[in-house]
Amino acid sequence: MIYYLLLPFLSIVLVILQSTITDVIFSDRLVFELSLIVVIYTGFRLDLIRGSVLAFILGFVFDCVAGSVLGLFTFIYVVIFLFSFFASGRLAAEKIYIIALFSFFCAFLEDLMIILFYYLTFKFDVLMNIYFVILPKALIVGLFAPVFFYMMRRVEVFFYERTA
Amino acid sequence: MFFLRKYKTAILIIALLVIALMMLSFSLKYGAERGFFSKIVLEAVAPVQKGLSASIKSIKDAWSRYIFLVGIEEENKNLKKKINELKSVIISYQEGYLEAQRLKKLLSLTDDYNYHSIPARVVGREQAALSKTILINRGTVHGLKVGMPVIVPPGLIGRLVDVSWHASKVLLLIDESSNVDAIVQRTRMQGIISGAGSRGLILKYISKTQEVKEGDVIVSSGMGGVFPKGLLIGQASHVDRLEASLFLKINVAPFVDFSKLEEVLVLASSENKTK
Repeated sequence: MIYYLLLPFLSIVLVILQSTITDVIFSDRLVFELSLIVVIYTGFRLDLIRGSVLAFILGFVFDCVAGSVLGLFTFIYVVIFLFSFFASGRLAAEKIYIIALFSFFCAFLEDLMIILFYYLTFKFDVLMNIYFVILPKALIVGLFAPVFFYMMRRVEVFFYERTA
Repeated sequence: MFFLRKYKTAILIIALLVIALMMLSFSLKYGAERGFFSKIVLEAVAPVQKGLSASIKSIKDAWSRYIFLVGIEEENKNLKKKINELKSVIISYQEGYLEAQRLKKLLSLTDDYNYHSIPARVVGREQAALSKTILINRGTVHGLKVGMPVIVPPGLIGRLVDVSWHASKVLLLIDESSNVDAIVQRTRMQGIISGAGSRGLILKYISKTQEVKEGDVIVSSGMGGVFPKGLLIGQASHVDRLEASLFLKINVAPFVDFSKLEEVLVLASSENKTK
């Protein structure tokens, strides 16, 4: 129960942390989506119910704070969580290059869904963004995801050893 | 009951997806109107973001004040020179302004909209793949409403899309879903300014038969009554005449550096003030 109560607060902290990192390190030129890496990670580590609720709340918070269309990231994050969850059984999560490639693919998939949405609803031609925003973003996510997975594994080991 | 227990995971996931889709369709249908939970999230985000931004800003300021002083003297000299040049430009503009005021009076033209400004501080800069928004520390209790234009004098930067009690979200002009009616100042040709993310802005629907040059200033047209007329938007940076298209492809460089916004003004119409 504590998990579900803490989730909204942790999601807000995560989204703020992410926007601050983007602002400080990349000076708003590139997008660093830490929340997406968290959603992918939960696909590998959590069960369906807890993971999908986390993806939903994180997506909703991200929509409220950063998105221009409410519900878009909420939907996409749940889809990406489900995709990660079902892919996790077939992938070797301990291999760095697998995590990097899979995260790159998920980031790319997310942006393809956004492009498709913008094209279908607003008839916007946003394909130019593939080179300027989407590929760099997917690369950043792909490069940082193994680091995040490693750090989380260390945290898990630390807590497991203390409670064991 | 047995059915619910057996398929509870599947039902929950389907319910979450359906709720997300319902939010999406609601948001598309009613646009700016957002729910209670969305306001709560904005309220919670604003103070934390403000605290974090303030501490980072103080570190940045300390860096730029005490360590990054190389070249300041040269820059100071250049700026003084620039100020002298600009002073003469301002004087000529003042003359033009006064003349315009006299002519306006003569022709009995009055503005359809009277605005007063509400200052606000930028507390967060949010970025998603195709979305560019900022958070400001003013909300409905300060008289803000969804749709109000936001400026950094003298340029337009966007409009309010989400307003909670003490914080608001501003959709920047460079957001892919932002569209503003604009005119080319020199030729008075009307078009639509659309956001293009990190590439700046694009002026659409200007016929190929029209003449638009690089360096032409683009201002808001005042059509539709959302934005006041004559607010600076940007400068044409590249003009393409594509064979296959009926319209010119005009890239516009915004006047405002969107990555360095700190304080903004929200324009509220007098009608809102009296309510």
